[in-house]
Amino acid sequence: MKPKPLKLMGSLIIGTLVLSACGSGDSTDSSDTTVSPATSDAVGDGGTITVYTGRHYGIEPVFAQFTADTGIEVRFTTGNDPELRERLIAEGANTPADVIMTADAANIELSAAAGVLANVNSDILTETIPAELRSDANNWFSLSQRARVVIASTERVENPPTTYAEVGNPEWQGKLCLRPSTHPYTQSLVASLIISEGEERATEIVRSWVDNDPLYIDSDTDIYNAIANGECDVAIANTYYLGRLLTENPAFPVEIVWPEQDGRGTHVNVSTAAVTANAPNPEGALALIEWLATKGQQQFSDANFEYPADPNVKPNEIVAGFGEFTADLAAVRQLGNNQPAAVKVLSAAGYQ
Amino acid sequence: MAIMITDTVDSNDSNNTTDSKDGGAARSSTVSVIGRQTRSWTSIAVISAIAVALSVPVLVIVWSIVSPSTEVWQELWATRLPGMIRETAILLIMVLAGTLVLGTALAWLVTAYQFPGRRVLGWLLVTPLAIPGYVLGFVWLDTLEGPLGARGVRSIWLCALVLTITLYPYVYLFARAAFREQSQRAVDVARSLGCSRTKAFWRVVLPMARPSLAAGVALVGMEVLTDIGTVRLFNVSTIADGVLRVWFGTGNRDAAAELAVVLIGVAIVLIAAERLARGRARFTQSGSRVGLHVERLRGARAVSASAIGWGVFTVAVALPIYRLITWALEAQRTDQTSTVSGDLGFHLMSSLRVTAVAVLACLGLGLLLAAGLNRRRASGSLLARLTTLGYTVPGPVVAIGVLVTLAAVDRLGWLPGGWLLVGSFIGLIYALVVRFLAVAYYGIEASITKVPPSVVASARTLGAGRFRVATRIELPLAGAGIIAAAVLVAIDTVKELPITLILRPFGTETLPIWVWQATSESLWVQAAVPSLAIVTLGMLLVAALLWTLERGAETVS
Repeated sequence: MKPKPLKLMGSLIIGTLVLSACGSGDSTDSSDTTVSPATSDAVGDGGTITVYTGRHYGIEPVFAQFTADTGIEVRFTTGNDPELRERLIAEGANTPADVIMTADAANIELSAAAGVLANVNSDILTETIPAELRSDANNWFSLSQRARVVIASTERVENPPTTYAEVGNPEWQGKLCLRPSTHPYTQSLVASLIISEGEERATEIVRSWVDNDPLYIDSDTDIYNAIANGECDVAIANTYYLGRLLTENPAFPVEIVWPEQDGRGTHVNVSTAAVTANAPNPEGALALIEWLATKGQQQFSDANFEYPADPNVKPNEIVAGFGEFTADLAAVRQLGNNQPAAVKVLSAAGYQ
Repeated sequence: MAIMITDTVDSNDSNNTTDSKDGGAARSSTVSVIGRQTRSWTSIAVISAIAVALSVPVLVIVWSIVSPSTEVWQELWATRLPGMIRETAILLIMVLAGTLVLGTALAWLVTAYQFPGRRVLGWLLVTPLAIPGYVLGFVWLDTLEGPLGARGVRSIWLCALVLTITLYPYVYLFARAAFREQSQRAVDVARSLGCSRTKAFWRVVLPMARPSLAAGVALVGMEVLTDIGTVRLFNVSTIADGVLRVWFGTGNRDAAAELAVVLIGVAIVLIAAERLARGRARFTQSGSRVGLHVERLRGARAVSASAIGWGVFTVAVALPIYRLITWALEAQRTDQTSTVSGDLGFHLMSSLRVTAVAVLACLGLGLLLAAGLNRRRASGSLLARLTTLGYTVPGPVVAIGVLVTLAAVDRLGWLPGGWLLVGSFIGLIYALVVRFLAVAYYGIEASITKVPPSVVASARTLGAGRFRVATRIELPLAGAGIIAAAVLVAIDTVKELPITLILRPFGTETLPIWVWQATSESLWVQAAVPSLAIVTLGMLLVAALLWTLERGAETVS
């Protein structure tokens, strides 16, 4: 037989396909499109919008209410933030997505950097969402805040840490629970440390946590339960999980401590939404985000026990029971840019 | 005399065993019709195009090493990479050793000894295949957290243990088939030369089963290397975990892809090791067969044999299912038995639709490739290797490779009516084929090369044409093996999560997606119903697999 021509043909085909696939893989389309609200606000035949959402907990009833209010049907798919971002970037001009929603500021910022988000011109959004919680270009908007706090056992801890740095105090040696660095919440917390304290100091702080030989648990709920079960005494976790746990057991023996109240404020991350640069239905997309920021703001935030992005909307009763706090809003828009540095710091400090 | 193996029905697809070490060189592919005949350039081009089309998504990833991200690598070397390599190596060695010992020992136990429950255990010991690692992982994590504490439970040792009890059936299946194919005559010869029964096992039976054991262990190795769900639960940082860590954490897809290439490298070493372990040994069978004699165990020995078998089944299957059922009942009580997308029936239909089409596609393409590729030639071997690349990288990496590839095709705008591949059902199936075709192809290929060359040669001598030999002799004889390969693909597809998650079309919400939606929010109770449904489907498939293997062996004789 003559294997040579076959080999040649094989390598030719491989070559062409690889090249064509690679050549176009990363190209993205311009994001200079600006979306403005539709002039008519007719309810009824609003068409359909498609949403990629990395936040899926309790989102469906919110969309259903939006459809009832506006007549715009919502078709959505769920997924992890980074994967949805990759999909949006890969699809480019062909994307069916009108809106992308994330559970994390860094991921939406990375989408913005890739040029797949549209700049939005909306008075409603600029009036309701504080400037710290939306991008300069107005190409993404926070809809709710999630605070990452120190939590402590109400039974065993008298003086819990009041700053993130104090979590690294030797008294918590062997008594600390943390979420692994694979999770965006950990990454964005460290990004906020870098923003306010600099990379060097941030590395020191993270190293002091690591020196306390923390137990890494990849679930905030399980971290709360670990404290309740006596596996650890203090931890860093998001508040809204406590909201869920308290609805099941009002006597849950874990308390929230608001860190950094004498300084920059508690680290908050945000749930965000953006109109995509190539949205087939940009007006419908904007209508959803505006609705979520206004009429749907309460329902959206309460669905997951989060803090509304609009300061004029009161948080859910259980959430309000956690007390008032100062949030580190200044850092929110820089979380995305500092996330790669945070990953580096976490690695350098030996954080699991 | 001991009793003949009654439930062994292996037969003359493997006429009978002798240990002729040189027989293999002359065997199969030189005679077999499928995968051998001279072909037109058109068919060669078609086959090559298919093989290449299926490997592009992985090659896109491999392409990234052309321009390495030096900075990221330096940082990785200085920080996590040594640990990742260490943990991957430890985990791999422990799980390979564990599955080899457990799989082989259990296969030997049910093949060579008669004891109460032997027959049913022979089947039940395959069933851990039905339980996805990510389900077994969270069940065990939750179960052992009580006695061991949250800290004690998260260890590489327990991770290895969980992976071992999920994956040993691969070795067990291969080992059992190998033991059944063996002839008592070889053992008799060994014993006449003064070997004890035990010694005969070590000196004769085990060495002859080596190629099969190596194949089983190689499959286990692939699963361990590409696992992400289980290792994360137990805080083990493997290279596969590192790929996602780099990619999701820094958004640097190139650096992540480079790390994935390391993984492909390890997989290739593993395959090479398997080839090496197989060596030049080819054990073909000839003459009338006498299966291995079965020794009846009595008294305490019979009881302990039963206890070992049932013990493994309890730990690997019964206990996890019991936990799932209690959670499912709680879900029932608290009304968490459906999702926003639909009820159990809806998700089940999604899973069945995806699985059925993916299996048919893998089967069709696997047959086509097995027929078209001659692996004895370098070009054929290369193409075969290409189509199986997708099995050597973690699911999420395949998903991104496919995403980038399909999006590139979509951009060309060649498809009619503005129809797009990304987010289409076809696109999802394509991705699943890229990932799992290896399972179908190697299964089909192996069963076709097992058809005795003498039979094919006779048919040809008697004037049967190639097509006739292929359809009337080779396919029917290899039929059971082909169906078994299809069922293995189905078992993998029913459990598949990362590819479906990224590429599923609107309205397709498979059972694993439901599990993910619940577990990503730590809502274990909500995950029980879909997990149980996956396990049930898996159990049915495992039953189908075993039934096919048994029946296939019977009909051939």
